[in-house]
Amino acid sequence: MSASPAQAELAPGAYEYDQSLTLDESPATRPPLVLGAKNFHDITEQVSDIVERRTPRPWVLLLVAAISLFLVLQGSLYRLVTTGIGEWGNNSPVGWAWDITGFVFWIGIGHAGTLISAILFLFRQKWRTSINRAAEAMTLFAVACALIYPVFHVGRPWLAYWLFPLPNQMTMWVNFRSPLMWDVFAVNTYGTVSLLFWFTGLVPDVAMLRDRAVTRGRQIVYGILSFGWRGSHRNWLNYEKAYLILAGISTPLVLSVHTVVSMDFATSVIPGWHTTIFPPYFVAGAVYSGFAMVMTLMLMARRAYRLDNLITIRHIENMNKIILATGAMVSYSYIMEFFIAYYSNDPYERFHFINREFGPMWWAGWTMFTCNALIPHLFWFKRIRRSILASFIISIFVNIGMWFERFVIIVSSLYRDYLPSAWGYFHPRLVDITTFGGTFGLFFSLFLLFSRYLPMIAASEIKGVMPEANPHAHDPTGEHATHGPDLLEAAHVRT
Amino acid sequence: MSERAAFQYGTDRPAKKQWRSLEEYAETEAFQEAVKNEFPEGAADLVDPVGRRSFIGLMGASLGLAGLTGCRRPLEHILPYQKRPPDLIPGRPMYFATAFPFAGTAIGLLVESNEGRPTKIEGNPAHPDSLGSANHFAQGSILDLYDPDRSPEPLERFQKRSWDQAAALLTARGALAAKAQGAGLWILTEAHRSPTLARKLLELTRKWPKARVIRYDPLTRRNGREGAHLAFGRRLELVPAVEKAKMIVSLDSDFLFSDGSPVKNARGFANGRRISGPKADLNRLYVAEAGFSVTGANADHRLRLRNREIPLVAFALARAVQQRGVDLGPGLAAQLNVPVELSEPTAPKWIAAVADELVQRRAEGVLVLAGQRQPPEVHAVAQLLDIALGQLGRTVRYVQAFDETDDGPESLLALASAMHAGEVQTLLVLGGNPVHDAPADARFQDALAKVPVSIHLAPLLDETSRYATWHLNQAHYLEQWSDVRAEDGTASIVQPLIAPLFDGRTDAEVVELLLGGSARAYELVQGTWSAQAPPGPFEAGWRRSLNDGVISETAFPLETPAIDPAGLVQALVAFTAAPKAGFELVFFPDAHRWDGRFANNGWLTEMADPMTTITWDNAALLSPKTAAALGIRLSGTTYETPTGGARPDRLNYDHFATEMLDLTLADGTKLSMPAFIQPGLADDTIAVTIGWGRTNAGKIGSGKGFDVGPLRRSTDFWAVQNVRAVKGSGLYKLARTQEHNVMEHRPLAVEANVAEFEKNPRFVDEEVEKLKLVPLNLFSPKDAMKYEGQKWGMVIDLGTCIGCQACTIACQAENNIPIVGKEGVLFGREMHWIRIDRYYTGEPEEAEAIYQPVPCMQCENAPCELVCPVAATQHSEEGLNEMVYNRCVGTRYCMNNCPYKVRRFNWFNFNRDVPELKRMQFNPEVTVRSRGVMEKCTYCVQRIEEARIAAKREQRNEIREGEVIPACAQSCPTNAIVFGDYNDPNSMVSKQTAQPRMYKLLNELNTQPRTRYLARIKNPNPALESA
Repeated sequence: MSASPAQAELAPGAYEYDQSLTLDESPATRPPLVLGAKNFHDITEQVSDIVERRTPRPWVLLLVAAISLFLVLQGSLYRLVTTGIGEWGNNSPVGWAWDITGFVFWIGIGHAGTLISAILFLFRQKWRTSINRAAEAMTLFAVACALIYPVFHVGRPWLAYWLFPLPNQMTMWVNFRSPLMWDVFAVNTYGTVSLLFWFTGLVPDVAMLRDRAVTRGRQIVYGILSFGWRGSHRNWLNYEKAYLILAGISTPLVLSVHTVVSMDFATSVIPGWHTTIFPPYFVAGAVYSGFAMVMTLMLMARRAYRLDNLITIRHIENMNKIILATGAMVSYSYIMEFFIAYYSNDPYERFHFINREFGPMWWAGWTMFTCNALIPHLFWFKRIRRSILASFIISIFVNIGMWFERFVIIVSSLYRDYLPSAWGYFHPRLVDITTFGGTFGLFFSLFLLFSRYLPMIAASEIKGVMPEANPHAHDPTGEHATHGPDLLEAAHVRT
Repeated sequence: MSERAAFQYGTDRPAKKQWRSLEEYAETEAFQEAVKNEFPEGAADLVDPVGRRSFIGLMGASLGLAGLTGCRRPLEHILPYQKRPPDLIPGRPMYFATAFPFAGTAIGLLVESNEGRPTKIEGNPAHPDSLGSANHFAQGSILDLYDPDRSPEPLERFQKRSWDQAAALLTARGALAAKAQGAGLWILTEAHRSPTLARKLLELTRKWPKARVIRYDPLTRRNGREGAHLAFGRRLELVPAVEKAKMIVSLDSDFLFSDGSPVKNARGFANGRRISGPKADLNRLYVAEAGFSVTGANADHRLRLRNREIPLVAFALARAVQQRGVDLGPGLAAQLNVPVELSEPTAPKWIAAVADELVQRRAEGVLVLAGQRQPPEVHAVAQLLDIALGQLGRTVRYVQAFDETDDGPESLLALASAMHAGEVQTLLVLGGNPVHDAPADARFQDALAKVPVSIHLAPLLDETSRYATWHLNQAHYLEQWSDVRAEDGTASIVQPLIAPLFDGRTDAEVVELLLGGSARAYELVQGTWSAQAPPGPFEAGWRRSLNDGVISETAFPLETPAIDPAGLVQALVAFTAAPKAGFELVFFPDAHRWDGRFANNGWLTEMADPMTTITWDNAALLSPKTAAALGIRLSGTTYETPTGGARPDRLNYDHFATEMLDLTLADGTKLSMPAFIQPGLADDTIAVTIGWGRTNAGKIGSGKGFDVGPLRRSTDFWAVQNVRAVKGSGLYKLARTQEHNVMEHRPLAVEANVAEFEKNPRFVDEEVEKLKLVPLNLFSPKDAMKYEGQKWGMVIDLGTCIGCQACTIACQAENNIPIVGKEGVLFGREMHWIRIDRYYTGEPEEAEAIYQPVPCMQCENAPCELVCPVAATQHSEEGLNEMVYNRCVGTRYCMNNCPYKVRRFNWFNFNRDVPELKRMQFNPEVTVRSRGVMEKCTYCVQRIEEARIAAKREQRNEIREGEVIPACAQSCPTNAIVFGDYNDPNSMVSKQTAQPRMYKLLNELNTQPRTRYLARIKNPNPALESA
């Protein structure tokens, strides 16, 4: 991601700050969340500039690449719909393979966004403001990628709508006992709430772009999207309430969605699936994978758009701590699965877990274990936690590992279950690879478009966590409120 | 086009070219297009060999036939029913008796016909070699009827000819032969058993004494007849009564699957192994063999031995019996009293135990059988033992041979040398495929080039037809009249169910044409039987014969042969055993193709080989030890070892990969074919099946597998000694339906010995309890469904299942199950609704096998039903786990959650490319599934519903026992599968369920399966067990 042309367009010396500030870790004084910016206007400029500057060449190239990959997805789906699911390597006994692996992978990725927007908001974790917008967008795009699978993995995708409880002339109702049915509700709720939450948060920032827009088209589009936001006190009051309510609604979703997804497996009878540990294990894994993906994306965006002052080492370290915490939970789950298999004395369970690591698919089991349960423990070291390069590499490892986790759970449980006569194996075919690869095309296309046309950083929220937002910011004694000119800026009312 | 159309509508006359315009005369493309556009819909059907019109025509004709139950009117094509044939009710199938000529016997059949289309084959209970069942070949043979690759007309060097032209040729050649009393006319037939063909051939040889009739069968049974000749001085046919034997010794005889009359033998064997209470009085089966046959899998004691040592075992056994005080006849004692060295250290003990038991239990009924691969001397010794042990008339019966002439390699060699010498002016080959399956030293293809006129009657343009000057299209046995004798001589009329789809003729008709006659098959067959009919009106007896499927009182009279010791001694003196060193290449009949004749049959090709589970290929089987010595490895094979399943060896990360084996004969003939490791095979043995590697077998049959024909000589017809075998280069994929061969110490296919069973009849429960798993359910039993009406279920007795695959093919025919091709099997996408699991137990070298058929368990707590989001799989009030195809969207969750993995998914539209002709076979009662839906065993719900309709018409609510028999149970030769109502305490299933050895597969999951199993009880000899 050498973004030299983009850098060239930046004003020389813009947003430079004293690097030493980030190293200030005195317990008494927390380091600032925003570095280098003098005032609210600087934030506005920095965030808006990403959208308003001339289209950077690298962005165009990346978008072309991403859309090309998206076209690969479309081609794969065309092939699937016209000929059949047999284009994938799925078989009997492996009825689900890369399809549901991809689904769970993407749904899991989305969890970081919800966690950051909802739970960290409720816990007043102010550092979240630099990353929440992008993470929420990522959630939505991940859900979009995930939804491809339930629709196109069924044998007759043109009838996939039968999974919705729609009144019909056959008077056929869906089967509410099926975890797949619960999935339909969980994922749709999740997608809807995430969209609302993201959009609500966007309104003040879109209004900011509207107010700065110089072309007619932008004025109209941002005008519509900003819902007539005027930055009035009433606007802010309603906004804050709505945001809080949505955060409250989203919070249980963080837990529920992946719990329900895990029940696709946990309620079955297949060894390796039929496990009570799955709901918390899946949620931890989802947050884990989500944060890894946020890390991957934000480090790229930070580099490309020079957001070092907004996404500071402190942010990165905080995310790494969450990765470490959830990674430890995942490691615990892995070990606990083995222990329970041993402790249960169930020969099928025992066989499954031995087979997972020492059977023909041992490579998948060990890839998962290494990437998810060994490598992230490097984050116990502060230097690694605070190293951009190490964070990036480890986040990639976690992304790979979490894909493998779903692959291992799904495929290595299915390919050798109860009757050895029915055991099989799984080999991916070309369309498996192009379908999954293609979802990355969709994901990055959406993310690139988002980063170009919408404020990638929640400018209004960042302003809220800047020292200037504190009425006592300029008054060490805290006795007098200060009214600087920047407060007007904070309300995005351009005079 | 015009010529073709005229051919379609007219009779057999070569049409004078008719034309309506000069454009048509010139047959320009533009005109062809214009003709098509004149009748936009379906006009192109006119050029289709079996289009709509001709189909309706054929249908009408066959219905006319059906209505009169065999009385055939002059063939007139009619269109709709203006008056409905009297017995016909549209939508209700009709059944006709006929017989399937097969491998030296015949299997009597009842064929289901729907609106004039034969759709399903079932056994005829009245037939002695069927007893109501049919084997997989019979079940699959219906597909050959609808084979689109069958040739639609005679061909002369690939040029289309009419039957009139062919008839003219035959008559001319007959007239030519007549001038020289038949000299130069040779006729080659298969080892047929048709009295009508025999009559016509006899007529021919009487008329033209110098004409030669030769019989050849690549899987000849001559050794048995020659053995009888050695023993008795007469070429008699042995008809074993397996059911009467309490102890059976098979010397390389696969009598349950491929030797003799397998269906009857299997029933007899199974009848001796049924258990109803806590005591088991079973027969005992000893098998000595080199390959691992289906019979070997069912043996109580199997002696794994090189093929060349089987004669030695036979002689040693005879000597041991004699030493135990049984008089075998003068002179034999000395001859048999030679020391025998066998490579297997366990062999002497085995022989001693067998001899002990033969002598001790001779009063109860014992039977020694020799396999067709073994030389006549072995047969002679085996028959000698049977007679000396007093079994004549009890377990062994003899009848005259249908035809005493040789049908082995020498007879073909005689023909070939005459052909090479230019002595053959006219060669008429009636069926068979000698270019493919003649011994290599006959050089039959070259010989054929030296014959001025060679005429081959065959269903399609196969290898022989390709090199013959004329190809005549043969009628399938379901579309023309013929007759056939069963093993004991009982005759059946082979009754057609449909007018010939391609206007083919039978062998007897061709001989008739050669003789200058013009009688059709019906007249010929009737002529045969009217001559032999008892006094009185012929027509009534004829009709009864057609109705019953057998002609009464036609079995050959039993012979009482006496041992001729002198001849036997002479033979044994002359007998030299094969050399002891080197690899031995042994030829076997193929489970898919027999001798290659079923090559183009998709069902049989995709059927799992009962032992290797290989589909779509043949392979060179090696024992694990031999393979290791040759450095051959195989991907994904595991054996159960005392320490548990070993991790599979993996070649090239491919699950099905295997290495190649290069075989070289002493004269330099080479063949490279995939090697496959077969546990339990004799060491230094390379077992191969014939019939593969065909080049002209049709779309499915051509280019598959490896032709071992070039290695097969008349002198080494069944086995070649001293073959050089080395590991070849490269890897090959063998598509198998089962990759993992051991049970991983799980109680799946449960078995025990008689002693263990009698000590603890409920041993199965203990096996399952060892798992220490408790079936759990959140719901209390009172919430469960009550099933107050009928409660369908199935019980499968593993003790009598021999693993023959008949059920799989019967199910495929009944339920319109598609084939998926080799690629599909490699991907694990085979669609069989009932599969036969085969597990190995014991050490790899001395592996034993156990079979377990697995259909849908129809669980009462079905895991599949719970997880379907659209409720496409539902529970019926009678407890069937029903699959609603048109509700299924194809999430495949049910398949994942099925612990038995019996659900099959339509990954593609497998039925899209089914040829129009093949669609005629479809069972109209069963939905043809499209892509994207799940399917599985339904317990043949269409048959249940049919019985329900019949019951309701009789004002009954209950369907009675026996009114519903699913296809698998119907075809099972051993009646191992029973089906019925668990709510009826007198039903077979209720009685079987009450047996102490009943168990439910994976019962610990609390699925409450309706399909239940009876554990297999083996009956080993305690004397050998203690070793």
